[in-house]
This record gives sequence, C-alpha cells and structure tokens, in this order.
Amino acid sequence: MVEGKGTMNDRISELMDGELDDRQAARLIGTLGGEGEARDAWRMYHLIGDAMRDASMLSAGFAARVAEKVAQEPTVLAPKALQSERPRNWFAVPAAVAAGVAGVSVVGWLALAPQAQAPAPAPAVAQVQPAQPQTIPLPSATSDYLLAHQGFSPGSSLQGMSAYARTVSAEARGDRR
Amino acid sequence: MLQRAFPVVILLFWGAAQAQSPEALEWLRRIHAATQKLSYSGTFVYQQGGRTETSRITHYVDAAGDVEKLEVLDGAPREIIRTRNIVRCYLPDSRVVKVERREAERGFPALLPERVAALAQNYDIALGDSHRVAGFDCRAVLLKPKDNLRYGYRLYADKASGMLLKAVTFDAAGDVEQFMFTQLVLGKVTRDKVRSGYASGGWRIEDAAAAPASLAGWGLTAELPGFHKVVELKRRMGESRPVGQVVYSDGLAAVSVFIEPLEGRSTRTGLASMGAIHIYTREVANHMVTVVGEAPAVSVQRIADAVEYRRPQ
Repeated sequence: MVEGKGTMNDRISELMDGELDDRQAARLIGTLGGEGEARDAWRMYHLIGDAMRDASMLSAGFAARVAEKVAQEPTVLAPKALQSERPRNWFAVPAAVAAGVAGVSVVGWLALAPQAQAPAPAPAVAQVQPAQPQTIPLPSATSDYLLAHQGFSPGSSLQGMSAYARTVSAEARGDRR
Repeated sequence: MLQRAFPVVILLFWGAAQAQSPEALEWLRRIHAATQKLSYSGTFVYQQGGRTETSRITHYVDAAGDVEKLEVLDGAPREIIRTRNIVRCYLPDSRVVKVERREAERGFPALLPERVAALAQNYDIALGDSHRVAGFDCRAVLLKPKDNLRYGYRLYADKASGMLLKAVTFDAAGDVEQFMFTQLVLGKVTRDKVRSGYASGGWRIEDAAAAPASLAGWGLTAELPGFHKVVELKRRMGESRPVGQVVYSDGLAAVSVFIEPLEGRSTRTGLASMGAIHIYTREVANHMVTVVGEAPAVSVQRIADAVEYRRPQ
C-alpha cells in the first residue's frame, strides 16, 4: 500500500497523540527510522510542540551522541515491559536505550507517549496504584461526554470558554474516525 | 483531649497557610473576576501532544449578564455559545444543535472567589515569574499538586487586567496540554459578535434535559482523596440515550461518572486519553460506566474501579 504524504503526516500526528495501536505504531516507527520526508515531518512536529511548550531545545548532534552511548551500552532485552509502561520520561528508561533500537527512533519514541501515566517520581505518600490499564481508542461519544462534563468543572470559572476547546477537539477527532 | 489536640490543629492550619502566598490567592481571584467581567475577543490555541487547534473566543458582558462564543477555525466549522445557564453547540455539518442547560448556579460547582483559599488543601499556590504572552505582560501563578491524583497548572495572567492569557497543565513528567491566546483585544465587543452565525431552523435539537436526581444504588466504594461529590443528575446524551452523571471535584479539577444501561451492547474496558482528559470505560451491573475527567489516568481509573451498584433495600 502506498501512502500519500498527507496520510503519512496524519499518521505521524496520530502516533504523537498516542492514537495508534501497538502494531501500527511499530510499523510507523520503523518508517521513521530511515531518512526521508516522514522523519522530517516527525522532527518538525516535535519542534513545533517544543516551541509551544517553551521546552528547551536539544543541542546540535544530540541524537548522534545518544546513538553513540547506546552502542556502548550492554544489551538488555526488555521490550515487553516497555510496551506496557509506555514511559514518558525518557531519562527514567535506560532499559529502552539498551534495547538496541536506532538512537534517534529511541529519542523520538520515548519523547512521545503524551498521555501515558508517568512512572516517576515516587510520591511522598504511598499511593494505591491500580493495575496498568489497557489503552483503548477514544469512545465515539467523547465529544458528548466532554460537553456534558465541561460545564461542571470548577476550573472553567478561571478559564471561561476555552475549556470547551477540548470538546471541539474531540469533535474534530470524531470526524476522522 | 481537646486541649491537647488544639495546638496540633493550629499547627496544621499554620502549615497549610505557610505553603500559600496571599498574593497568589489574590491573583487567582483577579483572574476569576476578569474571566467573568471583561469583554474581549481573541484567537486562541489549544495544544496537546503534536496537535494544535485554533479557535476564536469572544466574550460579551453587559448589565443583563454575559455571553461567550467559541468558533473553531480549523477543519469543520463548529460553534459553542454559552449564556448564563445554557450552552449550545452548533454542528453545521450534521445540522445538529446540542443544548446543555444548567440550573442557574444552584448546585453548580463553580470556583467562587470565597472558595479559592480552600484550593490550598490540594495545591501549593505561589506566584511565578513574569512572562510575555501575545504582547501582554503577564504574571505566572503556579498551582502545584500535593499528590499525583491531580495535575498542576501554570496560569499566566495580564498584570494590568487579570485576564488569563495562557494556562498550562503539567504533571511530574512535564507539560500535558495548554491553552493560549495568540492574539487578544480587551473591550470593543458588541452583542452581535456573540450571536450564532448559523440560522439553525430545521436543525435537530439534542437537549440534554439534565436535572438533579438521585441515582439510587450507585456510588463509590471509596472516594478519591480530595475529591468530593458535587452534583448528581439524570440527563440525555446524543440523540436520546438516558444517562446518569455524578461529578466529583477537588475544587478545581472535576471527574464525571456517566452510567448508562448496556442494553445488549458490549463495552471495551480500558483507558483512553486526550491531553489532560482521561476516559476510563468499564462494565458494572449490566451498565456501561464511563469516567471522564481532566485528571491523571490514575485518578480516573481509581474512581472508575470504585464505582459499585448496590440494589436499594
């Protein structure tokens, strides 16, 4: 199957939003491992995201240096655990770095997982953590739920209408399904 | 006994008070007042993950009250218009108007100025740096959560007016989503700017018809620390589905539990997410329970796992 450029960009956007299932994500990450437009788009999307978040930019050659460090690490095979954790904080996952995936993909992949629950840091008070849940797509009625919910959120008294941006965002996603 | 407990209580209050700066609480009250009382219009970006969506937001205030309008500028056009007690969502593609009414402020869990100080139970509130947003010189107000059951917030408010220009939601791992004006004009709004651009005659109206009600038998085996039940109601969703809704809040964030009969359908248990919103779905007593909130996955899941049905005696 030949995918158009637009479709590919959509897929990358979905990957960054954590909307792809494991198999789709793995296939796309494989594509991103090579040079090309897809990888440029991936970089650009992250750059935009970083700029919006006021995140500090990585220094030039960062990916290459990480790749070099990875090559020096002993190999520890723990991909199963990784899949279930989907960590967001890539400093917390040396095991992933050791998994021998190409350096840049590792950085990209670990930096994504936007909604995964963060494993670190340890809370001050011991908390009951439920078992790691199965990730499923957004329900088709998500925008209805959000419209019903948003009006009851006290935070919207500070934010005004802007909280409803989530509702319309869910609507927009609904269109794509 | 009481005499011995008294100094402890004093110490606890003192400790809580120390964590908060009165100036920061005053800033929250200013933001609240500006959000309610200023007329403004601007371009607004919602961003989470790699996704951004742009809207235009217009707020009009006069003696009769306020009206607010959000128009989506990307993709398919949509509009949401909120008056004091009605929210209307216009979907021109499907020619549908969704209507949410709410009892005028009665039982509505708004964050009222007098409740701002109570937020200190769950958040450390402090002033942050100055920061320019969309040309406005802003002051940051930080709400740092005291545990991992809620998100933290960085709010950037215009120093001159108190208007909220940017709000960032964060957790221990970093920023989760943000709302930001990229352009804003204070004042200069007329009534016609907040009217719907659609002649919605002939459109299907989906009225939620929400009304306070007791959902007999439904409850939580345990409440989530800091979250309390604020409202319980029956409503409709979509075209006609009858749904129960119970809202829990810590004074700032909220989590809704939606309960609807399965009626032979099957549900998929699991967690879905979109920015700070998490949605956990599971089946309880032949009903689909969907828990939705702007709270970390762990909170939404814990509330969902605690939902139980006990046949009323």
